[in-house]
Amino acid sequence: MKPAPTLSSAFLHPAGQTLPEPLLALRKQRASALIDMPLPTRKTENWKYSSKYLKLSDDMAISLPAEGKAGTSLAIPGYKVVFINGVMIPEASEYPDLDGIVIQSFSDLDANEAQALSMQLGSALDHEQAQFARVNDARFEDGLLIRLKPGAVLDQPLFIIHNTEADACGSAYPRIYVEAGANSQMTLVEEYTSSGEASALVNTVTEFNLTDGANITSIRLNMEGENVQHIGATGVLQGRNSRFESHCVGFGGQLRRHDLQVRLEGEGAETKLNGVVVTQGKQHYDNHTSIDHVAANCTSEETYRNIAADQSHAIFNGRIHIHQDAQKSSADMNNKNLLLNNGAEIDTKPELEIYADDVKCAHGATIGQLDETSLFYLVSRGIGRREANVLLTMAFINELVSQIPVQAVRETAQLRLNDFFEQTFQEI
Amino acid sequence: MLSIKNLHASVNGEEILKGINLEVKAGEVHAIMGPNGSGKSTLSQVLAGNETFEVTAGEVTLNGDNLLDLATEERAREGVFLAFQYPVEIPGVSNLQFLRTAVNAMRKHRGEEEMNAAEFMKLAKEVSKQVDLDPAFLKRGVNEGFSGGEKKRNEIMQALLLQPKLAILDETDSGLDIDALQVVSNGVNALRADDRAILMVTHYQRLLNHIVPDYVHVLAGGKIVKSGGRELALELEERGYGWLGIKDEDTSN
Ligand SMILES: Nc1ncnc2c1ncn2[C@@H]1O[C@H](COP(=O)(O)OP(=O)(O)OP(=O)(O)O)[C@@H](O)[C@H]1O
Ligand SMILES: [Mg+2]
Repeated sequence: MKPAPTLSSAFLHPAGQTLPEPLLALRKQRASALIDMPLPTRKTENWKYSSKYLKLSDDMAISLPAEGKAGTSLAIPGYKVVFINGVMIPEASEYPDLDGIVIQSFSDLDANEAQALSMQLGSALDHEQAQFARVNDARFEDGLLIRLKPGAVLDQPLFIIHNTEADACGSAYPRIYVEAGANSQMTLVEEYTSSGEASALVNTVTEFNLTDGANITSIRLNMEGENVQHIGATGVLQGRNSRFESHCVGFGGQLRRHDLQVRLEGEGAETKLNGVVVTQGKQHYDNHTSIDHVAANCTSEETYRNIAADQSHAIFNGRIHIHQDAQKSSADMNNKNLLLNNGAEIDTKPELEIYADDVKCAHGATIGQLDETSLFYLVSRGIGRREANVLLTMAFINELVSQIPVQAVRETAQLRLNDFFEQTFQEI
Repeated sequence: MLSIKNLHASVNGEEILKGINLEVKAGEVHAIMGPNGSGKSTLSQVLAGNETFEVTAGEVTLNGDNLLDLATEERAREGVFLAFQYPVEIPGVSNLQFLRTAVNAMRKHRGEEEMNAAEFMKLAKEVSKQVDLDPAFLKRGVNEGFSGGEKKRNEIMQALLLQPKLAILDETDSGLDIDALQVVSNGVNALRADDRAILMVTHYQRLLNHIVPDYVHVLAGGKIVKSGGRELALELEERGYGWLGIKDEDTSN
């Protein structure tokens, strides 16, 4: 028998040493714990559909360079922070000094702040379920810290642009930590993009820690190139009466994996998770979500839609765990899938574990194709086949796209969707 | 305008239309009546190009062009319009977007400029008034949650917007209350024109009081078994289908 594959030790060596001492120490400690980390295979339950897309070669272990990168100053209607290959580019970033709001790159933290952060990093994630968060722990070069003091309200969305410049093989390890004080509010947009054609790994971790009454909207737009293997994890801790809303829109690539874990730890917390995934060609996309109802009287509402064309492969795994004390929980999970070709594959799996007796829990998953009757109705009005297909496919996700609360993101998503339609539906 | 010769069509190998012959001239209104399951909707759907039905024999021309050679959307652009017996609900596509896409597809085909959102909104509001449908229905998903009568009015609204050469109305009168019947009839009468033909499938003579047909045909067992003037509808109302040698089924639908 062949020994189980492990992560090459080449991946354990970060490049930069620019972080403050406490974070360097943390990183080192996490790296030493990572020796012989098993790589997922098709026998690994939470990677069984995706392990075959994971292709890490030693030359991808090297950190993509950030030195000397200028970054492009993107026209964005809001505040923006630009990261290239995981390192913040101050010249391309624009955000004001606001009362009660700290927005800082990890490298700029003083020793005390870095010490405090080192105690918090990783606390919002279950590393058993999101194995690759460990790699990020050991490798992050930089990161963004956002601290909202109690009652602080960010008046415009903050865009974090993570661009990977893959002109040569390598990897990047973006990291974000958000601490939202009591009753604070913000909308955060994470945009993942890339340039260059070389094989690259983008391994991200984003954490949100919502104190009582905090209200956070998180938008995540994944638009990296085909060549990028993206393995990202988002961890959310929610205190009393806090509200978290997530909108994930993702386009496929060689490998796309996002783990979204939410823990409802304070009574009355609410979470709403929307997701749209679109894949074509031989692309892949795997969303694993997990909601833990730990405290009583919490509400979760989850709606994910996958569209798979050509020979692509989309996966949704939705776990809901209602703990023993989480009485009066309300959990609603809905996953609908659209197969545009017989060669495409979609796998969907709800996982419910309910240990409390007084709960409301609903879930549903469907896989279908475009409805012929609807198609006939549209073309019988003179609408072309191609346009009719586009209308019906868009109808499948319209509700979710229109709920994205930032217009610029809706427009960006729509442009990418138009490209997808252009390539997927030919005029007949 | 429309010429149907010896049309045979089947579904899943079962023949439903068994040799239909029909000539409709521009400006004429023809009513098609007949018992449930006799093939009226099948004929309508075949004319519109529904590929569920296989045409096994016969010929259909519209102004001399072979209709059966054209794809559904091409037929529509050549002026064929079918008001569905069961209009389709399409959640996620707004009625307004649907109607504008359809109107613009037609305009593009005719080499006319497409209408922008504002222009179209104005037009759509006018036409929705004509069929007594609140403009709020434009914002809803296509037929989504519309009542039976609202769906039928939406079909007539589409006919008024698309201005077809041949309008086939499949039981557009069924399920309407008295006021709605009046509204829909007015809509259909507004469609009547010298250069337009209307084929109207109905079970009810009462519709024919509002929209007076030039001819009435009885379709039974996949064939037209009797044709006449509008008095034929009155006779059917009185005597049912039995006297024509057809099984007299419940036609109240
Ligand atoms: N898709 C289909 N598959 C199988 N049989 C069908 C299909 N469509 C129609 N039929 C059959 O064809 C026959 C004619 O149906 P059609 O709908 O044309 O009748 P109709 O005259 O419109 O009836 P009604 O007055 O009830 O509307 C019926 O026996 C029906 O069951
Ligand atoms: Mg019928």
